[in-house]
This record gives sequence, structure tokens and C-alpha cells, in this order.
Amino acid sequence: MSTLDKAHTSTRPVPNPKRSLITRLHMGTGVVVGIIIAAIAYYLLKHSVLTYTDGVADPLEPHSNNIVLLGTMFAWSIGFMAGIGAFIGPWRWLIGKDLTDEEILYMAGDGQGVKRYFKYCTDHKVVGIQYLVGVMTLLGVGGTMAMMIRTNLARPGGHFVTATVYNSLVGLHGITMIIAMIIVATGPFGNYVMPIMIGAYDMAFPRLNALSWWVLFTAIPVLCSAWFLGGIPTGWTAYAPLSVQAGPGMNAFIATIIIFAVSTAVAGMNITTTVIAMRTKGMKWNRVPIFVVGSTISVALAIPAFPTFMVAMIMTGLDRTYNTGFFDANMGGSGWLYANLFWIMGHPEVYVILIPGVAALMEIVPVFVRKPLFSYNAAIMGFAGIAGLSILVWAHHMYIAGWAPSLNGAFMVTTEMISIPTGLLFLVLIGTLWRGKPWMKLPMLSVFAFIWDFLIGGITGIYLSDVPADGYLHGSMFVTAHFHFTLMGAALTGAIGGLAYWFPKMTGRMLDEKAGYISFWFVQIGFNVLFFGMFMAGAEGQPRRVMDYAAMFKNSNLVSTIGAYSVGTGMIILLWAVIHSSRHGKVAPMNPWGAKTLEWTVPYPVPLTNFDELPVITSDPYGYGKGK
Amino acid sequence: MSHDTQFHVHHDSDAAVGRRERLGVRLLIVADGSFLFSMIFSYFYLRNLNTGGNWLPKGVKHYTPSSAWQVAIPFVIAAICHRLGQENKERRNLTSIATLIVLLVGGYLQWKQMAHMPFLLKDDGGVVTFNGAYASNWVLMAGTGIFHYFLGAFIALGILIRNRTTNVSHELDVWRQRTAQSWFTWCAIAAVLTAFTLSIV
Repeated sequence: MSTLDKAHTSTRPVPNPKRSLITRLHMGTGVVVGIIIAAIAYYLLKHSVLTYTDGVADPLEPHSNNIVLLGTMFAWSIGFMAGIGAFIGPWRWLIGKDLTDEEILYMAGDGQGVKRYFKYCTDHKVVGIQYLVGVMTLLGVGGTMAMMIRTNLARPGGHFVTATVYNSLVGLHGITMIIAMIIVATGPFGNYVMPIMIGAYDMAFPRLNALSWWVLFTAIPVLCSAWFLGGIPTGWTAYAPLSVQAGPGMNAFIATIIIFAVSTAVAGMNITTTVIAMRTKGMKWNRVPIFVVGSTISVALAIPAFPTFMVAMIMTGLDRTYNTGFFDANMGGSGWLYANLFWIMGHPEVYVILIPGVAALMEIVPVFVRKPLFSYNAAIMGFAGIAGLSILVWAHHMYIAGWAPSLNGAFMVTTEMISIPTGLLFLVLIGTLWRGKPWMKLPMLSVFAFIWDFLIGGITGIYLSDVPADGYLHGSMFVTAHFHFTLMGAALTGAIGGLAYWFPKMTGRMLDEKAGYISFWFVQIGFNVLFFGMFMAGAEGQPRRVMDYAAMFKNSNLVSTIGAYSVGTGMIILLWAVIHSSRHGKVAPMNPWGAKTLEWTVPYPVPLTNFDELPVITSDPYGYGKGK
Repeated sequence: MSHDTQFHVHHDSDAAVGRRERLGVRLLIVADGSFLFSMIFSYFYLRNLNTGGNWLPKGVKHYTPSSAWQVAIPFVIAAICHRLGQENKERRNLTSIATLIVLLVGGYLQWKQMAHMPFLLKDDGGVVTFNGAYASNWVLMAGTGIFHYFLGAFIALGILIRNRTTNVSHELDVWRQRTAQSWFTWCAIAAVLTAFTLSIV
């Protein structure tokens, strides 16, 4: 039993709401009920929709097969949620018998030790750890797929995997990593740390907090099922009409995105409401820690962005199941419609991913330089400017598609304008570092890595926003390298910095520093080698998403693959460090970094309601060097 | 960050809880609004594109504008009924029953329209096709209408039952009625926008 568990079982007796169904439900019952409901849905749909000839389903009816598969996937998700107890709250509300205090306390996981991680637990700290494990799992799966892709591309004519498997690897790696990146900072830290940072005793809607995690959890097996249904041949963008014509594996992609969009909307609403409505007394907007501001702007941006992707997926699903014609030109549809809806979501989503990572680093720098954050207002203007402009740039992904060429100039300008608020973020970080004496601990390394990586990601983005340059570089490995430099170089680097920084608060132990340093250098050197190789290949004209290439690209591809193995090695070391340190690491003091934000004022394990008495804030969180 | 510990509240006031719930619902309305925007964008985009003249192929029937308003008006009436109940607690039982019935009737009308779509093509093998992009857009909007009706009816039924059985503090009850009002008002607005869109065939 870990320290965490002891603390949660020793403080007071376990609440025992007698005869309450809540006490009997957990992840296991969720899986069982989910499978049963999915099996029933499969059986009913199969026998009501499919037509048979001599006992064999008519192969000319892929639409019917799609109905069966999509219905089964959604039934699994709904069944799991019913089986874990997600609908008890709404049902009790409906019949006018609200949950009792004891039931609410039970759902918060009070006194249940490790078990609460497998229940519909409403404690935001438990949800934060669930997200952390989920993110690490997704990164592991997506990273393994990346290794397989790079192994195949190590030399021309590689046949490590078949063409079909390669196609699926590209698509599944993409969507797995996108989902992981969206939740990489706001999931673990937004849930675990953020409510404490604003002096709240919980999230605004604890049950919806659990819902957002468990709904997302149900999407994971759905996405994995794509492997057994023939894979995803479209890449993560799932462009129509290719996605409409794709095999049954595409249903898994559609169901995953729809389920994920629900999870994101609920989580976004919850985090935004918590920050707006539950800040403790004295925490005016100019005293809110910058990570909280960044995360809130990020999730608030996600609230309107993701429904457009959801609509695009519902349309794709309808085209595949009910013969509608949203994307079929013969039926009055258009592939451009999909591209528009997808990128209206797709570009804001880049910043949904990026902003929390940068904000986490901005939280770290003042602590380790012992200086106030340079121009807090500029940081907020940077975040807000990026969020605002991000909804006006989507068509730069469609220069080559031929959609509205007369608007290319306008979209080029709006895209390049994003450099201005992005520049503010650099200004804030460098201004804070300026003439400081950084305490070079593990979290601080990520700050310097971010400045280097994101500078490259940002500058190469300016090339791609330029219409003539994009004409040459579009669809090449250059684009792949660019967006990895922004997403991995900024968001993942920021999240790893955040993990190193908040690890003591989340686990009560220090992250193994030596392993952390080794991992850092393996990842950062490998990352730069990997994607510089890809920049070279792309600039020379190698298209992305291909499983073979001309001999002229062999050196740059070999370099990339060597870099990829280095990244993989570093990530495995980090994974080991996290698992090992969380059990056997050095016990952390309450405030190992001497930080001034509220999360460091509470002990580990953090009490169920975070604070015995809610604090009153009397100064800003970055008052280093200003005396008391 | 310096702090002291003179402020001791762990259980928020009913007003704070109510305000928070209403904000949460309004943020969900933003998400739903984005969903609606996407549908309307899609409708007018494909209508103006009219690829191959297949927005509404020749000879294909479509719903009249009045049928779109038929399924929008119940949402408006439901929102008004709920509002009347908010203003006068004594007639809340009556208005909550009326809200529920109006929503069920609206949902039935929407369902009936979906069951008798005039633009479907059926081939010899019994495979059904939505004929033209208008038909595709219509069915998506109608489906969203059904979802709104289902959710609205769930909320209305809950309010009706809770008015009779639950002992909720007056202040929290007032806030929850307002929160429900935000949702019903949004549904009415969404239905009117959808009806307006579908009126422009």
C-alpha cells in the first residue's frame, strides 16, 4: 500500500451508504455491462438491418454493416457508463431523490484507497491521476506505432509492415497522439492541480469531471478495435470522400471522435466554470496563476471548436450508414465541406494543445529563476490573441485543395499575424529568464528545450503559411516535421516539464532526477535529429504518409529513424522514472521548489476538500524578490 | 502567493451553486451553438454550391417551409410555458405539465416528419438513398431536433417530478428554474434558426 492509500484509509471510517447501488459499481461492472449491451445491440442490429442470402450477409450492403458496427460501438460506450454508475446521478435527479451526503462522500472516493481509481470517483485528484495514466498509455501506444513507421522507413523499400498495416499505422498514430496531446496537460494537471491553485475545494461539477474521463476511457477500446476491422486508411484527417468509402475500421474512428468530442465539451465546460466561479476570496483575475489562465483559454477554445469536427464525423457516419450525400458530388455533396468543417476545428485544436504546455512552462520559470513573471499581461494577451486568431486561419490548410483561391491572401495574412501573439509568449519567457540565475532542476530543462523547439516549429510554420512556398512544401515531410516541432516540441515538452514540476505534489515523491536528465537528453537530441532529417527529406520533395521513397531520400530517412529510436529510448526511461519514483522515490517535502502558488501550501496526500479552510489571497503568485 | 485563513466556507451558498450551474449550462449551449452553426454552414454551403444540380434534383419533393416551423413552434411554446412557471410558483405544476406535453407533441411531430420523408429513393433491392444534398441536410437537422426534444422532455419531466417531491431550498430552486430556462430558450432559438434555414429551399 502506498503512502497515498494509507492516508486515505486512516483518516476516518469509509462512508457506507447502505443499499446504494453506487457501492457495487466499478470499472469491472462497467466493462461487463458495456459488453452485454454491445452484444445485444450487435445481435439486434445484425438481425434487423442486414439482409441474408442462404445464411450469409449480403456483401453488397456495407452500409448495413456500418450501422451494425457503429451501433455496437456506441452501445458499448453507453453500456459501460451505465455499468460504472454514471447515470445514477441524472436518474436520481429525475425521480427527485437526490444523492445523500453519504453517497456523495462515497463517490468522492473517501477512504477507498486504490479502489477509487477504478470507480466513478468524483475527486478531482483521482481524475487527474486517471488522466495521467491514460495519457501515458496513449503516448506509449502512439509512440510504439511511430517506431514501427520509422522502422519501415529506415531504408528505401522497407517491408517491416505491409502497405495496409502501414496506412493504418499512420492514421492510428496520428489520432492517438492528437487525443493524447489534447489532454496531455489539461487532463492530469488541469484536474489535479488547477482547482488547488485557485483555492477551490473541488471542481464545479465533480460528477461531470468523472464523466469526462470515463467517457474518454470508453473511446480507447473503440479506437483499438480499428485494428481488427481493417484499420484506418485515411490518416488522422479522415478526409471525405475517402473516409466514406473506407472499410469497417473507419467506423471506429468516427465513433471515437464523437465520444471524444462529448468528453472534451464536458471537461471544457467544467474547467471553465470552475475557474470563473470558484476562485477563492481575493483571487482577482490578475492574481490567477498563468497555468490556470492558459488552461482555461485552451479549454474555452475547445468548447466551440470540437462540435464542428463532431458534425463532420456525424455526416461521414450518415454517408456511410444511411446513404446521405454530404460529401458525394453525385448527390450534391462536396469534399470541400468536410475540409472546411475539419479545419475550422483543426487549427484551433493546435492551440488547444499548445497553450496549456506553454502555460505550464510559464508557471515553472519564475519559480526557478526567482523572479516575477515578466509581463503577466503580455502572456495573457498572447494566449488570447492566439485563441482569437486561431479561428480565422483554417483555410491555410486548403491552399492546394483549390477552395476559394481568392481568399488565400487573406488567410495568409491572418496566419502570419499569429506570429505576433506567439512572439509575446517568447518575450514573456525570455524576459523572465533575462539576467536571472536559473536553478537548473529537471523542470527548468524543458523551458530551454521549448524555446529552441518551438522557435523552429514557429518559423517553419511561417514558410507554410506563405501561399507560394506552401505550393511546394504542402503534403511533404516538411509539414510533418513542422507540426511535430510545434506539438511535440511545445506541448509535450511543456507537459513533461509540468510533470517534473508537479510530480512531488501528485505522488508525494520526487521524480528520479538522474533518470530524468538522461531521458531529457535522449528525447531532445533524438527529437531534433529525427525531425531535422524529416525537414531535409521534405525540402527535397519527399511526400508524407508514403511507405516507400526514392533512393535520394535514404540518408535523411536513416537519420530520422536513428533520431526516433533515441526519442523512444528516452521516453521509456521517463516512463520507468515515473513508475519507479512514484513508488520508491525520495519523499518530497510539501514545497520542494519554494513556489508561491497555492498547491504548494497543502500537504501530501492532499485532503479530500484540499483546504481545511479556504485561503484568502492578498498578493500575486509571482512576487519573488519583492520581500514578504 | 501569500494567504491567510480567515475565510472559512466549504459549502457554497445556494446562489453560488445555482449561478455556477447556470454558467455551466450556458457553456454547453456554446458547444451546441457551434454544432448548429456547422449544420447551417453546411446547408447554405451545399445549397450555393449546388454540385451537378443535385442540391434538389429535378422532380424530388421537399418539405414546405411551414413544416419546419411546425416543429419549431413547440419549442417556443415550451420556453414560454417554463417562463410563466418561473414567474408564478403557484402555477408551476400546471406550467411544467404543459411544458412536458408540448415537448412530447413537438417530438412526435418531428418523428412523424422523419418517418415520412418525401425525398427518399428506394432501389429494387430495397436500399434507401437520400436524394440530393437538401435531403442529407434536412435529416441531420431533424435528428438534432429530435435530440433537443428528447433532452428537453427529460428536463421537463424531472422538473415536474421534483416540483412535487423534492425538498429543495427556495433559492436553489429559483436558480435551477433559471438554468432550465436558459436551455429551453436556447432550444427555441435553435429551432427557429433551423426552421428559418429550412425555409430557404
